[in-house]
Amino acid sequence: MSPPNSAERPAVGRGETVAADAPVRLSEAGGAGLGSRSSVATASPAVHTVALHKRFGNTIAVKSLSMTVERGEVFGFLGPNGAGKTTVVKLLLGLSRPSGGEALVLGAPLGDLETRRQIGYLPELFRFQPLLTAREVIRLHCRLLGRPKTAWTQDANEALHTVGLLERADDRVGTFSKGMQQRLGLGVALLGTPALVVLDEPTSALDPVGRHDVREIIRNLRERGSTVFLNTHLLEEAQHVCDRVAVIDKGTAIATGSLGELLGHHSRVRLKVEGLGPNWWSGLGRFGRWHREDEWTIVEDIDPKRVADLVGELVRLGGRVEAVVPEQQSLEARFLELLSER
Amino acid sequence: MSQILTIANLTITEAVRRRLLAAFLAITVVIVGLSAWGFDRLSHAQSLTSGESNIAVPQALILFLFMFSFVLALSASAIASPSISSEIESGVLLTVVARPIRRTEILLGKWLGLAVLLAGYAAGVCALEFAVVYWVSGFVPPSPFLVGVYLFAEGALLLTLSLALSTRIPAIAAGVVGVAAFGAGWLAGVVGTLGTGLNIAALRTVGDVGRFLLPTDGLWHAAIYYLQPSSLIVQHFAEGQRSDPFFAQGAPSWAYLLWVLCWLFILLLAAVTSLERREL
Ligand SMILES: Nc1ncnc2c1ncn2[C@@H]1O[C@H](COP(=O)(O)OP(=O)(O)O)[C@@H](O)[C@H]1O
Ligand SMILES: [Mg+2]
Repeated sequence: MSPPNSAERPAVGRGETVAADAPVRLSEAGGAGLGSRSSVATASPAVHTVALHKRFGNTIAVKSLSMTVERGEVFGFLGPNGAGKTTVVKLLLGLSRPSGGEALVLGAPLGDLETRRQIGYLPELFRFQPLLTAREVIRLHCRLLGRPKTAWTQDANEALHTVGLLERADDRVGTFSKGMQQRLGLGVALLGTPALVVLDEPTSALDPVGRHDVREIIRNLRERGSTVFLNTHLLEEAQHVCDRVAVIDKGTAIATGSLGELLGHHSRVRLKVEGLGPNWWSGLGRFGRWHREDEWTIVEDIDPKRVADLVGELVRLGGRVEAVVPEQQSLEARFLELLSER
Repeated sequence: MSQILTIANLTITEAVRRRLLAAFLAITVVIVGLSAWGFDRLSHAQSLTSGESNIAVPQALILFLFMFSFVLALSASAIASPSISSEIESGVLLTVVARPIRRTEILLGKWLGLAVLLAGYAAGVCALEFAVVYWVSGFVPPSPFLVGVYLFAEGALLLTLSLALSTRIPAIAAGVVGVAAFGAGWLAGVVGTLGTGLNIAALRTVGDVGRFLLPTDGLWHAAIYYLQPSSLIVQHFAEGQRSDPFFAQGAPSWAYLLWVLCWLFILLLAAVTSLERREL
C-alpha cells in the first residue's frame, strides 16, 4: 500500500500532537474539503467524512461527524450503545442516506457500486438465507462479487476454514447458532480480498475462542494491507487490535487518536525514592503534579517520554530510586471520563 | 443482467426448498383429479342431450378455471408479499444490498424468479386440466395457449402489486391488500356486467373504472373468451342473457392490452423506486 498523499490529508492524522489538557478533539477537517475525484484511488484515505449528519425524525443519530481513516490501519469506532456507530456504517455503505454532509469511501462518493466490490461488510443485526448451506451462501456472494467461477470452490473453502466452519460447510444456515452465523458473516466479509473491511460489533455473539479468532483475523487483514473499520463498544477489543480509535458519543466524535495518544498524557508514575530530604519533590513541579501515598510518591499527568528524564534528575540529586511504576489510566476510566466531560 | 439472474435463481431455489413447489403440485393433482371425475360425470350424463352437453362442458370448465384463477392469484400474492419485507425484518437483505448490486436488480430478480414459478404453475395446471377435459369429453378450448397466458398474466399483475407493497409494508398486510384488491376488481367486473345487461350507465362505469385500475378482471375475461366455443357464443346471444359474469363478449382490445403492459410497468417502477429509497 503506498503511503497516503499527505497534502490531501486533513489535519487529523496519526502523528498529530495534541494539547495535553484537552481530549483529542477533531479539528475542523471540513477545511480540507473532499479530495478531488481525479486523485488516484489509492492516494485517498479509506474513509473521509466531512460534517456528516443523520437524523431520524427528532433523533439526531449522527451530528456533523468529520473524520479520516487512513488506508491500511485498523480503526476502532468506539462508543456506548446508541452512540450512532451503526448509523455511520450504514451511511458509509450507502444503505441509508445522510441528512447532510459529505463522505468519500475509498475515494468514491457514498453508494458507489463499483467501490462495493472492494468492501467487505459484516452487519450488526443480520441473517443469511436460512435455506442455503454455508457453502452456498459463500458461492452466492462470490457470484454477486463477480468472482471468476473457477475460484468459487477455493474461495469457499478458504473463507470457511478461516472462520472455523469447514465441518459445517454443507449444513443449512437456518440450523446455525447466532455465533456461527456471525462467523459465517465474517467469512463472507473477507471474500475477494477487500481493501476495506467494515465490521459492526463482530464479536457480539461469539465465545472467547471466537473473539480470539476475530482478533487474529483482524491482525491478518492488517498484514495484508486491508483497512479495517471496527465498530465496537468493547474497549478490550479495541485495545487489542486497533491502531487508532475514535470515541463517539451522541453522534459526534469526542476524541480520536492512537490509544497511546488517548491515554498517554493522562498517565502517572509511582516512585519509591530513598536518600533525599523531606519535600524533595517540591523543586520538580515541571514534571507534573506530585503527591504522597504512604511510602510512594505519585506524579500525575506526566508525559511518558519524560519519565527517564525524571529518574535521571532524581539520581543527579543523590536519590536512590527503588521503584518506578508507570501507571496508565485504564481505557475504561479514560472512556468514562471522556463521556462525562461532555 | 447477470445480477438479476443471480437473484432470480436464488428466489427459485429458496421456493423449492421451502417445499412451495411440492405444496402446489399436491394441490394441483387433487383439484385436477376431482375435476376429471366431475367432467366425466357431466359429459356422460344420461339426462343431457349431446347439444346440451357440448355447452355444459365448456361452462363447467370456465367455472373450474375461475376457481383456479383465484387460487393462482392467492398464490401469487402469498409468495410475493413476504419477499422483501420479511428479508428486511430478518436482516437477510442487508447482507445482499452491500454487494455490488443495485436494489433495482434485486427487485427485478425477485420478480423474475417469482414470475417463472407462477408461469410454471399456471402452465402445468392448464395443460393438465385441458388434457383431462379432452380425454373425458373430447372438448378442446379454441385457444388453450392464450387461456394459459391470460391466467398467468392475471396472477403476474397481483404478484407485482404484492411485491410493490412488500417493499414498504409487512407481509401479512401486503398479502391481505393484494387479495382484497383482486376480490374488489372481480366485484367491479360483475357490477359492470350487470350494468351492461340492465343498461345502467353508473354501474357500467364502475366496471370500466375497475378494469382500468386493476386489470385482473379484464384479463380473466380475456381468458374466458378463449375458452368459449362458438356454440356457447351462439347460444348466449340466442337466449339474450346479457349479464352473465362468466361470459366474455369479445377478445381484449389492443388498447387494453397495452394498458395492462403500462400498468405492469408503472407498478414495477413504483416497486423499484420504493425499494431504492427505503432506508435499511
Ligand atoms: N431507523 C432508525 N429510525 C429511528 N431511529 C434510529 C434508526 N436507526 C438508529 N436510530 C437511532 O439513532 C441512534 C444511534 O443508533 P445506532 O447507530 O444504532 O447506535 P450504535 O450502533 O452506536 O449502538 C439511536 O438513538 C437510535 O435509536
Ligand atoms: Mg450498533
